[in-house]
Amino acid sequence: MKKFFHLIKANIKKEYIEMKRYWPNTLSMVLTIYFIFLAMFLGIQFVGDPNQADTNIQYVIVNYIFWYLTLITLQGPGFTITLEATRGTLEQLYMSPMGVWKIFLSRQIGTVIIHFFIIVVLLFASMLMTNQWLNISPLATLPIFLFTIIGMIGVSFIIAGLAIIVKQIQAFLQIMQFILMALTFIPLSVAPFLAYAPFVKGIDMIRQIMIHNMTLADFTWLDYALLIASAAFYFAIGIFTYLRCEKIAMEKGLLGQY
Amino acid sequence: MGSMIEVKSVKKAYKKRKTKERITAVNHVSFTVNRGEILGLLGPNGAGKTTTIKMICGLLVPDEGTVVINGYDIKKERLKALRHISAVLEGNRNLYWRLTVRENLEYFAGNRGFGRKDIHSKIEELLSLFRLKKKEHELVNNLSRGMQQKLAIAVAMMADTDIILLDEPTLGLDVETGYEVRELLRYITDKEGKTIIISTHDMPVVQDLCKRTVIINEGKVVTDEQVDNLIKLFETRAYSIKLRSPLSDNQLQLLQEKIPMHDYHDHMLEVTLEQDDDIYILMDILRDKHTKIEKMDRTTVDFEQVFMTLLKGEGYNEKVLSSH
Repeated sequence: MKKFFHLIKANIKKEYIEMKRYWPNTLSMVLTIYFIFLAMFLGIQFVGDPNQADTNIQYVIVNYIFWYLTLITLQGPGFTITLEATRGTLEQLYMSPMGVWKIFLSRQIGTVIIHFFIIVVLLFASMLMTNQWLNISPLATLPIFLFTIIGMIGVSFIIAGLAIIVKQIQAFLQIMQFILMALTFIPLSVAPFLAYAPFVKGIDMIRQIMIHNMTLADFTWLDYALLIASAAFYFAIGIFTYLRCEKIAMEKGLLGQY
Repeated sequence: MGSMIEVKSVKKAYKKRKTKERITAVNHVSFTVNRGEILGLLGPNGAGKTTTIKMICGLLVPDEGTVVINGYDIKKERLKALRHISAVLEGNRNLYWRLTVRENLEYFAGNRGFGRKDIHSKIEELLSLFRLKKKEHELVNNLSRGMQQKLAIAVAMMADTDIILLDEPTLGLDVETGYEVRELLRYITDKEGKTIIISTHDMPVVQDLCKRTVIINEGKVVTDEQVDNLIKLFETRAYSIKLRSPLSDNQLQLLQEKIPMHDYHDHMLEVTLEQDDDIYILMDILRDKHTKIEKMDRTTVDFEQVFMTLLKGEGYNEKVLSSH
């Protein structure tokens, strides 16, 4: 456990150093998110029914946050594999006795923490700027967020497994943006069957808290069961798929290839 | 002295992408490496060296055979085996060019589960040993190729494993840096007692550092022998003699009869003796006309010549048989 903690620390530090060192890139990313938030707060009231403006703004902002975090999380390991294979460092990662999936997991944890922090700060900055306030209750949202992210990480490992074998998955990742948009934007009330899709249940529950002022006590045990089962299932299936793909790559000699 | 690495009859074949034809890269290769030994893995391009190294690292699964690292089968207990191995596989490409020297050392140590406090003194030691202290805050991108190579070896050392695998550690280095890297490798084996496999084309590195060498060609082991023994086996009884006066016709006639492998021109006599005792016959022929010798040298053989002879498959078996 101590070793895994050091692994997470090393990968968070690396992520932080690279963001700090290439600050123009980081700054442009931060500004983009900030202006998107501002545009949402200020612009959506002019679209659709003015009586529904507040709900629309909140709905779009919550969806955008999750779409962004989902994109960052799901593309993480796949993008890392492609990049590290091109650089020549991938095989060096595979020499770690910790196991590569743990390295990718720790990078995911680092990425989520950093981007979550950025997005929360920017969200508050935008709310302050526009004087429009969302119901953000950390105590209610964080536990659900945690389980939602676990499911997302699971799916990211399925993509990583694909990347380890075929390497060039950029086109697939582009298509995935739209699939993710659908999964994050469509409410469960419209498509209840999506509750079984990865991370949709969690996003829907957080939406209920942030938009409809629900509390943790308002959800049923079935909601929690589905949330936890979905997270556990997609995480397990993700790691299993990744390890299978890793084995195939090692048998076929695909690790170092790009 | 126990075996640290046991490579037992490993075979690896690849499928060609276009033709789908199966190419056997490594064909039932076997050898062992003892604790503290430094082994040279040699062979021409495409001989199967890198495939063998990658199977030892657990980056490739052999189709047949096993690799055992300090008692752990790399196929069945990969992560346990990896605790004993570190490697420099692609030289300077094994590093993060956007991180500094120190950040690379810290990151790779963290990836093996080491905490920053645990490795502080080790990092200082390595920075000073590899003469990288002044460059510790420099981005790898800005370092010379030689320094990047030294850092890649330092990163492998950072893991503090018993075994280090080095694939072409001196490739692309200038003479001075190549020498420096060689000295560092010598230090690592002498002082740290590491078990090292060096895969290289650099014959002076093998002759200078390796006790033993395994030569692979077309996926098969051609030779597994002590470097000194190989040189001794291929040492010739060849002499280069500079004479003060020319040889007479009679002397040339005697040479032709008794020492057929000779060449004479401009007072220079080159001879290869079939047996050690033939040197006395040669001296008798020269003494016959009081021919004075100005200079006499025994032709030496270097490891590169031995390697080339072995690759051509010339005379190894005969030499081994005659040496016994």
